[in-house]
Amino acid sequence: MTPLSTVLGVLLAPLASAALILLFLRRHGGAAAALSTLAAALVAAGALALAYGGVPVVAACEWLRFGSFAISLGLKYDDLASLMLAVVGVVGLCVHVFSLGYMRDDAARARYFGGLSIFMFSMIGLVLADNLFMMFIFWELVGFSSYFLIGHWHQRKSASEAAKKAFIVNRVGDFGFMLGIILCYWTNGTVNLSALADSAASGHLIYSRAIPLLLFCGAVGKSAQLPLQVWLPDAMEGPTPVSALIHAATMVAAGIFMLCRIDPLMVPPALTVISWVGTLTAIYAALCAITQRDIKKVLAYSTLSQLGYMVAAFGLGSTDAAMFHLTTHACFKALLFLGAGAVILGCHHEQDIFRMGGLRARMPVTFWTFTIGVAAIVGLPGLAGFFSKDAILVLAYEHNPAIFAVLALTAVLTSFYMLRLWKLVFLGAPRSESAEHAHEGGFTLTAPLLLLAALAAVGGYTGLYPASLGRVFHDLPEAVGPAHVVILVTSLLVLVIGAGSALAFYAAGAADSLETRFPSVFNFLTTLRNCFDAAYDWYVAKVQQRVAIALNFLDIVGLAGGIVRGLLAGSVEIVGFGVRALHTGRLSSYVYWFLGGVVVLWFLAAGVL
Amino acid sequence: MTPTLDAYVILSAALFAIGFLGVLVRRNTLVIYMCLELMLAAATLALVAFSRFNGTEDGDVFVFFILTVAAAEVAVGLAIIVALFKARQTVQVDQLDSLKH
Repeated sequence: MTPLSTVLGVLLAPLASAALILLFLRRHGGAAAALSTLAAALVAAGALALAYGGVPVVAACEWLRFGSFAISLGLKYDDLASLMLAVVGVVGLCVHVFSLGYMRDDAARARYFGGLSIFMFSMIGLVLADNLFMMFIFWELVGFSSYFLIGHWHQRKSASEAAKKAFIVNRVGDFGFMLGIILCYWTNGTVNLSALADSAASGHLIYSRAIPLLLFCGAVGKSAQLPLQVWLPDAMEGPTPVSALIHAATMVAAGIFMLCRIDPLMVPPALTVISWVGTLTAIYAALCAITQRDIKKVLAYSTLSQLGYMVAAFGLGSTDAAMFHLTTHACFKALLFLGAGAVILGCHHEQDIFRMGGLRARMPVTFWTFTIGVAAIVGLPGLAGFFSKDAILVLAYEHNPAIFAVLALTAVLTSFYMLRLWKLVFLGAPRSESAEHAHEGGFTLTAPLLLLAALAAVGGYTGLYPASLGRVFHDLPEAVGPAHVVILVTSLLVLVIGAGSALAFYAAGAADSLETRFPSVFNFLTTLRNCFDAAYDWYVAKVQQRVAIALNFLDIVGLAGGIVRGLLAGSVEIVGFGVRALHTGRLSSYVYWFLGGVVVLWFLAAGVL
Repeated sequence: MTPTLDAYVILSAALFAIGFLGVLVRRNTLVIYMCLELMLAAATLALVAFSRFNGTEDGDVFVFFILTVAAAEVAVGLAIIVALFKARQTVQVDQLDSLKH
């Protein structure tokens, strides 16, 4: 097989699976699950084969042409795409296998797996797109599949509302993205990624601050950065494997991937904005995570925080560091979410961490893999998160001390809330009936955990990656001289402070220690978390709704009543009244009209009239 | 004494006027139809007369065409009137007003 046909196969296998499931297998959950998992396995195998082959593929064909304006569909499979494709393929396969166990008793299993396949297709298309128009199309498709899967349990009102919220909030960001694409086409005459990179290299690119900032709006929506972060915590209403795949490892990282794709368009002021948005998101989400009781919401805010890290790394000028953290984060966050899924399933759909406890002995595989995940995210030396987080801290240390300080504080908070989660879930005595009877899941649940745990452990060693993936990281920021010591001490210090204080502070009890001992801090953090939702609620209810009522009034009274019914319908009525008088239904009267017409014609022909 | 061209034209105009008046005032479809044919005959008469007095064949050729078309038209028209009568039991045009009502 040529690389091109492999790439096409990887792209189209999930589409074929989704089409077959939606057309023929809607009532056959088992067959749909098998087909979808097979497609995911093909994607993973193809992505890894391509990564080890290391051959770039570029192909395009024209899709639409309006005069001089043409839109092409094309594939751009380079090192960056191969890395992202490998992440999507491997995590996607793990999630599919996990879903086999997790969704075994779900009534709408076929719809679920069809949705997963649609998502895989959209995500791969987004990764392989060679121009911004095509990327936008797949960008919207991943948004749709995210909506589809968040609302999988649509009988629950909260799930369907979360799905709508995710879709609408994403639309806000996507509108900016679309404007950015249009502006880019207007100023530079092309939206092809390779062409843009070429013209940047040859110095012909026309730079503007608006283009990168508008395109960044898309990333703000999809990667849930401030101020559009509100949808991601609510998106946890979806099934847990979906949260692992879409709302932690791949789709939300698409914003970072897109930013790396449009790196040639960046200008320093835009990068400054981007780095601060990422930094503020990181610290804000870390603060929010501390008060959460729901195991998935803690992880959701942690995802937000880590995405903030990536955006900040990109804003500080290193796509390598951003993509490196994206890769390691995909491994350990998918691991943590799937571990959370195993815990939730083991505890019979209990999600409150204060009603868990003591799961260490009851779910040993989950406990140890989850522990590796926690160690990786807090940056225990030797594990994946340590390397990628350090790369970002080095970058911040070299470029912007303020951002460095905030990110270091965020790292303290990260280890604080992750260790809080870990201690409350696994240590101590069981605090509820369901935790008492928790049990380990079957092979399909544990195998993905073990694979992802292995990846989370070794994902930080760039030498282990296939050559084409490793090339993405060739320019990682590295600390030299005294900076090296500073960074190492900082990262160890934040780890010890955060983890130690969490372990010492939180008692494995049924109540939140922070709430009972420092209620003012707890209330402040809760308010901080709710203030965005409250502001948006206020805006929608008080501003948007009132404008809508006023416009509706104008529509009914002015447009529909005045212009349409009054002016237009009135004049038609008058004409109709006259014409109706002519329409007698008697033949002879028509003949009189005919006679009149002939006479008029005669006069016309004679030149009298 | 041979008639002059004026006499033929006046006769033709009179026939045409009678036919047209018939179409205007009569209510029976069959009579209206006969009046239409009368108008056609008036036109034919005028053409023959012009042809005769100009010494050319052009008008005569037209007359042949008119006769042919009129024969076909009579066949179709009478068939329509018979079908109409079968459907409505009347051929009075003031009762055939279903387009209006």
